[in-house]
Amino acid sequence: MLFQWKVSKRKNTINEQSGQAQTVPSGEIDNRLDANIETIRRTTGNSTDVVIRRFMLGKEKNIQAAIIFLSGIVDESMIYQFLLESVVQIDFPSSCLPNEALLYVEQKIAAAGKMRRMKQWNHLFLSLMSGETLLFVDGVSEALSIDTKGGEHRAIEEPSTQLAIRGPREGFTESLGTNIAMIRRRIKNPNLWVEAITIGEVTQTNVSLMYIKGIANDEIVEEVRTRLRRIHIDAILESGYIEQLIEDQTFTTFPTIYHTERPDIVAANLLEGRIAILVEGTPFVLVAPAVFIQFFQAVEDYYARFDIATALRLLRVLIFFLSLIAPALYIALTTFHQEMIPTQLVIAIAAQRESVPFPAFVEALMMEVTFEILREAGVRLPRAIGQAVSIVGALVIGQAAVEAGIVSSTMVIIVSITAIASFATPSFAIAISARLIRFLLMFLATLFGLYGIMIGVIFMTLHLCSLRSFGVPYMSPLAPLIPTNIGDTLFRFPIWALKERPRLINETNMIRQGKQQRPMPPNESKKEGDDH
Amino acid sequence: MERVQLSARQLFMLAILFEHGSAIVIPLGVDAKQDVWLAILCGMALGSLLFLVYYRLFTYYPTVPFTSYSQQIVGTFFGKGIALVYVLYFLYIAARVLRDFGELLLTFAYPETPLFVLNAVMMLTIMYAAYKGIEVLARAGELFFAFLYLIAVLGFVLVIVVGVIDIHRLQPVLEEGWKRVFKVVFTQTLYVPFGEMIVFTMLFPYVNERKKVKIAGWLAIWLSGINLALTMAMNIAVIGADAVSRSTFPLLNTIQEIRIANFLERLDVLFMIALVIGGFFKISVFFYAGVIGAADLFQIKEHQRLIYPLGLAVLLLSIAIANNFAEHIKEGLNIVTIYMHIPLQVVIPVLLLIIAAIRNRHM
Repeated sequence: MLFQWKVSKRKNTINEQSGQAQTVPSGEIDNRLDANIETIRRTTGNSTDVVIRRFMLGKEKNIQAAIIFLSGIVDESMIYQFLLESVVQIDFPSSCLPNEALLYVEQKIAAAGKMRRMKQWNHLFLSLMSGETLLFVDGVSEALSIDTKGGEHRAIEEPSTQLAIRGPREGFTESLGTNIAMIRRRIKNPNLWVEAITIGEVTQTNVSLMYIKGIANDEIVEEVRTRLRRIHIDAILESGYIEQLIEDQTFTTFPTIYHTERPDIVAANLLEGRIAILVEGTPFVLVAPAVFIQFFQAVEDYYARFDIATALRLLRVLIFFLSLIAPALYIALTTFHQEMIPTQLVIAIAAQRESVPFPAFVEALMMEVTFEILREAGVRLPRAIGQAVSIVGALVIGQAAVEAGIVSSTMVIIVSITAIASFATPSFAIAISARLIRFLLMFLATLFGLYGIMIGVIFMTLHLCSLRSFGVPYMSPLAPLIPTNIGDTLFRFPIWALKERPRLINETNMIRQGKQQRPMPPNESKKEGDDH
Repeated sequence: MERVQLSARQLFMLAILFEHGSAIVIPLGVDAKQDVWLAILCGMALGSLLFLVYYRLFTYYPTVPFTSYSQQIVGTFFGKGIALVYVLYFLYIAARVLRDFGELLLTFAYPETPLFVLNAVMMLTIMYAAYKGIEVLARAGELFFAFLYLIAVLGFVLVIVVGVIDIHRLQPVLEEGWKRVFKVVFTQTLYVPFGEMIVFTMLFPYVNERKKVKIAGWLAIWLSGINLALTMAMNIAVIGADAVSRSTFPLLNTIQEIRIANFLERLDVLFMIALVIGGFFKISVFFYAGVIGAADLFQIKEHQRLIYPLGLAVLLLSIAIANNFAEHIKEGLNIVTIYMHIPLQVVIPVLLLIIAAIRNRHM
């Protein structure tokens, strides 16, 4: 009983939130123009951006008609210059009926692309709100919805996250259509399929699902689709909403869905069989399923030569661990295991710590928290003030704290290294989870020294191994080990050696290149040819 | 039983980590003096025969764990009795290894910390692993396997580079003949760690490639046998047989000999990593086997329910098992080997195999 009551109560609240279900008039439109205009006025509360332009149609100009659109989200020049002008100038036969007039408009106007006849109010309002122009004719109980979407958008710019020295310079924008086009331009293949879903009871946000049919695993596509359809919420304002509503596990600090601003990354992931989720109004596109190692793969790894890419990738993994355990290690070594530090160094550290009145944990915690405050302040401040903060921060975190005897200079070095390391991870999502775990490890190191750090790392590894992203083990292809895919993990083998797509993500269409893609000097390749 | 699958490779890596477990850090079979490496290799050879017994039992009943087929072989009543004994054995050994581990940690780095706290932290991690299941443990095993091997190779290279190895310390070979070697084999090295593979009879049914189980197990035994023999031989070659037999952690003493350019020294952290990771996997496998054995025996569908009570029991047992470390070691060498390892690792499996072979002779 209790359970049922809860369910019914929840249903009520959703209905209350979803404004559309309540205020949008149900049913079909009237055949009187005035009544229809009145309905629209009433429903939109006389909003000032609803433009209603009445005019007369027909040879004798005796048929009343009106176009209605929302200024700002439509292409107004198109409406005025082409649509309105051509509607008025159509050569109507004499004494045509209102119904025929509408048919004429539909057939004769070439200026607009998509055009649909509609009767239902809820469909009409959805079209109106997403930037289409409605054309009503007096005496007809049907309206024409003409696609005139437009309005101001941010131009394509260089992405502000995931910068690359070598690689394309364009990043996604807030416009869904532009984003889809940017991916299309990279993969010119009819098998690149786009599915549209509208999510959000109030916001009616357009969400697109993109995948390459034949490469993406159909089961995972279906899983993504069902998870998206299951979402029943009032608003989707950013792809982060969707990410949190469809991820496999909420109670983890690790991201199980990848997000990016770069179309080339999305294209590469689609080609590996992953699925992209594009959300209207945000330049961040989701990519699923994601694996742990993906967050260490910078886009340049594939554009640079393999030896350099491998070295950089190993460096990044090292950086991740450094940003995880550096302060914890400092605490463990200075409090528990002084004998493990070389003698001269331990003397130097002890001499510095002589004047510090706090235990190592408090010292480390203070500096780490200070740094986190500085970083958080720096992110949201206007640029002009940001300068001031960084100067103050450099003084506080640096010399002044040491001179005041609050922290040792070794600690400052440790904190600086950790801070820089946490910025050097190519994905912000994974760097931020490392920041949280760092504090946990510091705490464990205070209690149990190195043993505590190791226990923490074992715990973290177990947790990572238990995660899945849309059914794909998070640590694959490292654990479970998939030897054919190991070339693109901690290392990046030469492109010609990466013959197969990730095995757990797509299961059928595996091979991605022809045989013998390894470049060979002409002589050798001829010899090879003779052998066969 | 959990509905999960392990690959033969995962079984292999888990077995390697399990075999190395605590064996690599303790003075294993040092009664054989400088012939200890021979004792380990002989133990390995006999251990692979013993593994064949476990494997044959598995081939008769490939879908169920040991605690189930014991009931099919000797009937429900006796079979359940045997299963119960094995469940208790696994949990007891888990507690023993936990005690070993805690004591080692205590003497090595944490003289001020109570044993109970050290053990409790470890046990919590192990309970978490058991809660997540064998699949997660095996995956973590794959990661730590690579990590541990990297460290081991690094350590070996460093010891060789430093030049502290003196081969003459390994001589004379067979000073007192084979008798001393075989005495150590049959009282120590055969059972720990090789005979302890009996615990994997609980995990075989999870493996999805049944035909590869034998080779995976054998490879694990051989590789870990060679590694252990090499490690102990290295210990003796670096610090001498006498020092090894008196030391609590011969490996630690060896690692401490590494000194390069006044910079790379005191690499105790390497030892610590080997100790904690090895201990974790060894206790986890025993504990998990005990938990799923109990779940199987008492027909509890979710093994997770047993983790808290049994985990607490193992933790308390690890403390109550002995008054001090010396007593603990003495019990291990004198009582556990004769009354537990020999009957449970050798006698009962062989008897079960004979009965099973007679019962299934028409197959």
